[in-house]
Amino acid sequence: MTAPLLETHDLVKDYVIGGEVLHAVNGVSLSIKRGEFVAIMGASGSGKSTFMNMIGCLDVPTSGTLLLDGIDTKTLDSDALAEIRNRKIGFVFQQFNLLARTSALDNVAVPLIYAGLGYTERRERAQAKLEAMGLGNRLQNTPAKLSGGQQQRVAIARALVTDPLMLLADEPTGALDTQTSLDIMGIFQKLNDEGITLIVVTHEPDIAEYAERRIVFRDGRVIEDAAVKSRRRAVAG
Amino acid sequence: MSKLLNSIAGWGVNIAIAMTALRTNLMRSILTTLGVMIGVFSVILAVAVGNGAQVSVTQQIATLGSNMAIVVPQPDSGSGPPRSTDRGRLTERDGRAILRQVSGVSAVAPQIRSSVQLVTPGRSATTQATGATPEYGIVSNVTASEGRFLTDGDVGAAARVVVIGQTVADKLFADANPVGETVRINRVPFKVIGLLESKGSNLGNDNDDQIVVPITTLRQRLQTTAMQGPDDVTLLFVGFEDEDSLLAGQQDIKRMLRDRYRVPKGRISPFTVRTTTEIAETTGQVTQIFQAVLVAIASISLLVGGIGIMNIMLVSVTERTREIGLRMALGAKRSDIRNQFLVEAAVLCVIGGAIGLTLAVLAAAVFQQVADFPAPVGLDTALMSVAFSAIIGILFGGYPAIRASRLSPIEALRSE
Repeated sequence: MTAPLLETHDLVKDYVIGGEVLHAVNGVSLSIKRGEFVAIMGASGSGKSTFMNMIGCLDVPTSGTLLLDGIDTKTLDSDALAEIRNRKIGFVFQQFNLLARTSALDNVAVPLIYAGLGYTERRERAQAKLEAMGLGNRLQNTPAKLSGGQQQRVAIARALVTDPLMLLADEPTGALDTQTSLDIMGIFQKLNDEGITLIVVTHEPDIAEYAERRIVFRDGRVIEDAAVKSRRRAVAG
Repeated sequence: MSKLLNSIAGWGVNIAIAMTALRTNLMRSILTTLGVMIGVFSVILAVAVGNGAQVSVTQQIATLGSNMAIVVPQPDSGSGPPRSTDRGRLTERDGRAILRQVSGVSAVAPQIRSSVQLVTPGRSATTQATGATPEYGIVSNVTASEGRFLTDGDVGAAARVVVIGQTVADKLFADANPVGETVRINRVPFKVIGLLESKGSNLGNDNDDQIVVPITTLRQRLQTTAMQGPDDVTLLFVGFEDEDSLLAGQQDIKRMLRDRYRVPKGRISPFTVRTTTEIAETTGQVTQIFQAVLVAIASISLLVGGIGIMNIMLVSVTERTREIGLRMALGAKRSDIRNQFLVEAAVLCVIGGAIGLTLAVLAAAVFQQVADFPAPVGLDTALMSVAFSAIIGILFGGYPAIRASRLSPIEALRSE
């Protein structure tokens, strides 16, 4: 039995707003195994995004422990955290966050710059990921010349290009129509079948049903953590 | 080795990112570059003009002759504005005494200077006449390029002969050979016996706009201002064998003249003895100050250009906060973000610097042609300007770049 990919113990994140302490995340302990497909749900302000940012090493906890792939993130400096984000985590955002006026190929290659790869290798790997996403004929398109679904697939290719251990998706379908959302969830399920760990933050119950485990946040705490009954399967597009 | 290659490739990526960002805001980039360009342009031009002034002054001093002391019968201007009562006398006898008694003196050239009018049929010119002896030619390095210079015979006979400078010759005789022609100086007819070898002009001072006549002739025929005695002179040029004897001789001459005119102790000496070495030093200092002032003023525009860079980089960092957050999320280290913005500032500066340098070289060349004034832009100036622009980039791009690198990834990512 291998160690869990992610383990938190009494994780807390406080914000001070107008002199008052707000417990955005208030003592969360949970563990996520390799290969799991987890949906994190909750209303806005429930702490799910703050939790997500901490496990993505974008934000540091106020207290508590976060073990990522067995490493206690408290011991890491900003450079080491950057390296973890680069090598072990792939991010997918609601607004895609692609660089404007930059081709799909160059967008996907950005993480490889920070991984220290040479030009040729960057291009080859970025192209392979885009082809796997069915965008082999869109390599030179800038985001403005791609549909929302295509842009999100470019973003997924970018998240996958360093072959990370897990994909963190924050409302990945929030800016997409129903059919495109299904496509994206289909891609996620297929990736999960191939072995990658997936954590998707969403406030849409339908979307959560594509995951195998659902964690619900309210007021900075986990109020529900259970397997998804009657899990949906999407046909990958 | 591969680490080095990687780091070079890393900078290449940063340059590519910078070029994309700068192209995105092309107008803004051009305007910002313009500031650095003007700064570098003015600094280089200031250095070039300053260098030119120094070259020019050095040439000017070389035309005076070397290892020479100039004695004038008035107090050193360093001891306050001259009063008429302070004025001393200087005579040819003093000159002969200096030649006899001061060691290391090779020749003494007494001179009387007077402004004169020259007339040839249909033409005229006003210039400065130097009444001199053949020693003048030896001490101050003056020779005739055509005809001949003054002889002792000319001086002894107070002959009405004149050696004229090139500028005077051009005015009076145009292209014709002046030697052997007659010219009326203050209405007295003189025979032109020679043409002074050209010494060109420095800092707008034409060394060829002068004539030389025997000192005796000038005294008898042309003198307009009254002198106190029959062999009084305006000044003496004292030529020395070498620089050491010049330095020692300067004091000897002062002491000797004080004795000869019985100047009481404590009273300021009514003579000034200046050496070509001193003159070179003083004018060298003056031109250095001149250059420093020029460069200082020019540097202000470079500073303003640098502030422009900083301003635009701060705007750029603010505008692209989200991009910075994204890059951090994708694995950019703080140093990656810092370098990205440093390179962007450096690219702006280096482009501005290169254009500024090119324009300065062109302007210096034009200046040299039009104003007949040397303004050399050397390799050192060019390298200095490149270093300058890079420093400006790092200095003024550094703060915005560090600010960008210190952003928290999540806050940057959340910003609109």
